Amino acid sequence: MSAQIPISTFKPYRGEKARLVRAYDYLILVLALFLFIGSFHLHFALTVGDWDFWVDWKDRQWWPLVTPLIGITFPAAVQAVLWDKFRLPMGATLCVAALLLGTWVARVFAYHYWNFFPINMVLPATMVPGALVLDTLLMLTNSLTITSIFGGAAFALLFYPTNWPIFGMFHQPVEVANSQLTIADLFGFQYIRTGMPEYLRIIERGTLRTYGQYATPLSAFCSALLCSLMYPLWWHIGKWFASTRYLAKI
Amino acid sequence: MKTQFKTWLLAFIALTVLSGLPMSSALAHGEKALEPFIRMRTIQWYDVQWSTQKFNVNDEVSVSGKFHVAEDWPISVPKPEAAFLNISTPGPVLIRTERYLNGKPWTNSVALQPGGDYDFKVVLKGRLPGRYHIHPFFNLKDAGQVMGPGVWLEIGGDPGDFTNTIKTINGELIDMESFGFANGVFWHLFWGALAAAWLLWWVRRPLFISRYRMLDAGLEHELITPQDKWIAKLVLVGVPILVLVLNSVTANRYPDVIPLQAGLDQILPLPAQVNAGTVNVDTLKAEYNVSKRAMVLQVKVDNRSQGAVRIGEFATSNVHFLNADVSNVGYIHRKDDVSNNGLTLDNNTSIAPGEQRSVTIEVRDAAWESERLDGLIRDADSRLGGLLFLYDDVMGKRYISSISAAVIPKFI
Repeated sequence: MSAQIPISTFKPYRGEKARLVRAYDYLILVLALFLFIGSFHLHFALTVGDWDFWVDWKDRQWWPLVTPLIGITFPAAVQAVLWDKFRLPMGATLCVAALLLGTWVARVFAYHYWNFFPINMVLPATMVPGALVLDTLLMLTNSLTITSIFGGAAFALLFYPTNWPIFGMFHQPVEVANSQLTIADLFGFQYIRTGMPEYLRIIERGTLRTYGQYATPLSAFCSALLCSLMYPLWWHIGKWFASTRYLAKI
Repeated sequence: MKTQFKTWLLAFIALTVLSGLPMSSALAHGEKALEPFIRMRTIQWYDVQWSTQKFNVNDEVSVSGKFHVAEDWPISVPKPEAAFLNISTPGPVLIRTERYLNGKPWTNSVALQPGGDYDFKVVLKGRLPGRYHIHPFFNLKDAGQVMGPGVWLEIGGDPGDFTNTIKTINGELIDMESFGFANGVFWHLFWGALAAAWLLWWVRRPLFISRYRMLDAGLEHELITPQDKWIAKLVLVGVPILVLVLNSVTANRYPDVIPLQAGLDQILPLPAQVNAGTVNVDTLKAEYNVSKRAMVLQVKVDNRSQGAVRIGEFATSNVHFLNADVSNVGYIHRKDDVSNNGLTLDNNTSIAPGEQRSVTIEVRDAAWESERLDGLIRDADSRLGGLLFLYDDVMGKRYISSISAAVIPKFI
């Protein structure tokens, strides 16, 4: 966009200029926060949707596959801008934090106060550890390839163990109606959702259990592979979206 | 500027006034919007009753009844291979504590058999006070919702009194309203604090314009300091280790966990209640007279029972058309879904045992229009379905036939 400034002639802003630049930083940060809260939350709600909304959708097969795969999109795109243009290694963490803020607001006000669901039934998952790894790996390697392969994989692989301390307790068995259910399943049975019959849940489908009943690691590694591909795709979308190519012509 | 301010002020006042106007709440669940042929020829509800319609928070209420799965299931509607008996509520104002199908408790979905007869019972518990319009209904996979009859329930009391305690298989008593909440909030705050620390580490220093200029000037090495790298390495190694340790601690704490359950319940139909073979009804022709709002059915009744029977009721899509001349038409109906004189016959005398008789039934009521059942004649599948109730006055018996026929519209 601009001509490169030779190092020898580079002068940092001072005084009023520096104050103005700092004010601009805060302005952009606040706007970015609201932008990511809104857009990433909407994107996440429309794509991950029920897997993140309900405790009885967080299964060991599809939940760890779908959530990181969708969750890595915005972090990759925002990293492409913040790292490429500013060498700021916080794109993923910023996105995930913004998503969580938006999600918590929705869960408390829309699900609990508006629709009467107990909040423990709609606890969101967190992807903060994966985002921190993604940011730090990009910063230390400065490599799209390495971050895609190892960062993308780590983002997926860390998802389930990160969230097990939150949701593991909901998988304790209870005896209901002469059958065993998890506490999470019982939430789905007891707390009536008119538009959410049990059969709509996309959980435990397919034959991944063939592999010694270990569905989660297989799902997680499948997600890791897909995240490694999803990451560069959204990195390039981010770069394309943040292009100033057309601005220069105005 | 002044004009703009006035416009905004006016808009604000208008919105304030509008928000203060009385608003009526929705009184239905869109049940009339579903195509009539689906409402008439899928789940045919009857004898649906509530134990009470006025109760308090924590009190139990049950809805029970029967339904017949129509033999003439529409070709365009997927077969009920996964069906879920649900309750339409505005959120969980009640909780569902028990549910039975043919006397068997069940929690998941079930495969229903066309032509099958079932009875059901759902036990609910009041959670939030208010007045709510509630239906039992079936969610049918890939087909949608088929509503049963709706009622108004009034729940009184204090929402703070609601309790829902259950026992795990290991004997631990848990409160479903708060279980796992504090733990979930703790972990979100924990990871949120780490995320905030990482973000603040970078946000505390000049950001966009300054960093862009420095990067442009080739001063990249000044943007990422050795201290930054040291912290990043710590995060890169420490966070995954922490995640795995915490995961392991949780796994040891809850060693007996099981995956979410996804089985389909298998419950066989009852012995035939409808079309049981004692009194057979064959529909010969059905005509709908648009101007009279009357369905004229020509049926052939074959009475193989031991007593004389009379046609007392035709029920379809939760609307009951009664023959006023038959006294023992069973259960109590509310005003909005019953037509007391809606059914008349060309020959109202009893059909003797062993007799075969052709009968013309006129089912005439504005309900065909108000319940949007007359939309049938504009559907691609314009077949009618419903339950015909025949009564043996002497023996006190009831025979039910599920009838169906293509409908011919008569416009004049």
